[in-house]
Amino acid sequence: MELTAGNPLRKPSTVIQPRKRLFELDLNEIWSYRELLYFLVWRDVLVRYKQTVIGISWAVLQPLLTMAIFAIIFGKLANIPSDGKPYPVFAFAALLPWNYFSQALSRSGTSLVGERNLITKIYFPRLLIPLAASVSPVVDLFFSFLVMVALMMWYGIIPTLGLLILPLFIVLALLTALAVGLWASALNVKYRDVGHTIPFLVQAWMYASPIAYPVSMIPEKWRLLYSLNPMVGVIEGFRWSMLGSERPDFLIIVVSSAVMTVMLIAGLLYFKRMEQDFADII
Amino acid sequence: MSNTAIRVEKLSKEYQVAGGNFRNDTLRDTIMDGLKSIFRRKENPHSFWALKDVTFEVERGQMVGIIGHNGAGKSTLLKILSRITQPTLGRAELFGRVGSLLEVGTGFHQELTGRENIYLNGAIIGLTRDQIRRKFDAIVDFAEVGEFIDTPVKHYSSGMYVRLAFAVSAHLKPEILLLDEVLSVGDIQFQRKCLAYTEELRKSDATILLVSHNMFAVKSMCSRVILLSEGKMKFDGPPSAAIQMYEEDSKVSPLSWARSSIGTDVSKWDIYLKEMDTFDENGNNVNLFNHGERMKVRLEFDVRRTVTNPNVLVSFIRSDNVACCNFNTVMDGITIPSGSNDFVIELLTPPLKLVSESYTIYVLVRDEKFERLYCAQAGKIFHVRHDLLNTHFGVFHEPGEWFMPNEGVDHQNNFSKEVRVHD
Repeated sequence: MELTAGNPLRKPSTVIQPRKRLFELDLNEIWSYRELLYFLVWRDVLVRYKQTVIGISWAVLQPLLTMAIFAIIFGKLANIPSDGKPYPVFAFAALLPWNYFSQALSRSGTSLVGERNLITKIYFPRLLIPLAASVSPVVDLFFSFLVMVALMMWYGIIPTLGLLILPLFIVLALLTALAVGLWASALNVKYRDVGHTIPFLVQAWMYASPIAYPVSMIPEKWRLLYSLNPMVGVIEGFRWSMLGSERPDFLIIVVSSAVMTVMLIAGLLYFKRMEQDFADII
Repeated sequence: MSNTAIRVEKLSKEYQVAGGNFRNDTLRDTIMDGLKSIFRRKENPHSFWALKDVTFEVERGQMVGIIGHNGAGKSTLLKILSRITQPTLGRAELFGRVGSLLEVGTGFHQELTGRENIYLNGAIIGLTRDQIRRKFDAIVDFAEVGEFIDTPVKHYSSGMYVRLAFAVSAHLKPEILLLDEVLSVGDIQFQRKCLAYTEELRKSDATILLVSHNMFAVKSMCSRVILLSEGKMKFDGPPSAAIQMYEEDSKVSPLSWARSSIGTDVSKWDIYLKEMDTFDENGNNVNLFNHGERMKVRLEFDVRRTVTNPNVLVSFIRSDNVACCNFNTVMDGITIPSGSNDFVIELLTPPLKLVSESYTIYVLVRDEKFERLYCAQAGKIFHVRHDLLNTHFGVFHEPGEWFMPNEGVDHQNNFSKEVRVHD
């Protein structure tokens, strides 16, 4: 314990006053709370699979079942092309980031309201709550990734060097989920309608993303507009780095990343502006 | 100056509240106000100062009590100091690591075990994994949860739950500790342990702010007491003077939840309570009653405009905000004539079988259908004394009748004799 008594010029360790600057993102403070982020993620994962019979297997089973349905309906019945890859692998490569994204969004969107108890009683950077909710489904992503590896071996697909860039796309997916999650969670504190909207949003967003179908099905002239959906870039990136399909349209990835960046910065601004009132209106 | 631990300057907090958002006293009020607010939503949002120009300084190693009635701003002050909410105006400086305990166990997750919760809660209040690991045994020891440490806390008794939560927070070893009503939980033995621990912290030069309704605790533990009233500082000084003032201050004040329907300016009301007093059966003006004594409440009303058949309601609200009982003229078959004359009315209560605690008397005036509200005021505080019965025994105590059918013995008479001993 540092002894500061006796020094008349000592500075207060905490100053509390109304916020003056429009935007202050105290990254140092968030860094100093990194242990809490770890514990929040750990708790999320632990609680989710407690009292389930098959536990973490759900993380594997869910995308596998979705893939089976997609393979039958879109691959077999609708005969949707899959860029020359076996349809199940083609779909699964997209379901990896998509399942992550939809889980992260659903969870972070309602995360603040769910942690009402903490917010009204204890101080810590509120940003950690949606952040933890966006990070925790990465654990599920990891387990589905193992399934992906098995699938690739089954179909004899040999990964290319592109696989090394996969972490970059995972980060891109995480930041996209966080960007939307920041907006949704902060809005949901004030307008609980948002919580009801998220499932629809996720569903509509899925059809607007190249999961069951390849980007090549979108007419050339609409592609730029299409890639304003940041998940298009993420999914294209996943497919490319894992399946080694032909080089993706980099323009798509650049546009998607740019949209994501704008959304994230605006989301952070909005979140920080609303943050001070969370405890009062939640 | 150099030894300051907390410096608060003109701290103020304004809340914006749309009409009809206040706590209502009946479900019907809630629903009606809800319906009304659909049409009135955009009409002038009320705002009020939960805290206004509060200024004080606390030196290291001091333990300061903060008292005041419900809605006086005590909790708002602690919430600002613990950075949960931001002040609207003013400034506060804290010198040292702050620990706050605004409600025990809020960081706990039902599905997690005691062990897991210790780690999670430790992280929430800012301990690292290493620090928690080092203090783990001491925490488990203090909490007395023993072999249950690996059981999900949803299976804990409420006592165990509270003990574990307090143990974690207390072991943070804060330099400034903010406590809000936390000492009112848990059994007596554990409360003593907490008090002893708090005292030990204070001796090691920690600064403690204690919000409490428990005047006995405030008196015995604090060297200085700040009295808040309607968001403002009313007194700052020795505990006995502050507590005396607090009890006098409890004369009559408008209830804040009535703000949305009749406002808090009594001069605009049709009728208001001018004076209230409590007496024992012999007519002595007292505010301390033994369990089982009867109390006479004298109410003096000022009537400005004609009120048709006023229905006078008197409720006893325990210091932890539990509404314990209500008397009203309509249900007791008394009709107060309509009119615009001032009147005095007295209520003689049945024997007070309430548990040992402090109670505030709320007085409302409604119409005979319990619909309109004319007047809503909180008045005097009185105490009920009993050696054994406290809030753990519930709200009131009446002897029951006990039978042992197989023995054919009727124990009722023996029992009531024993109760009389306690009286």
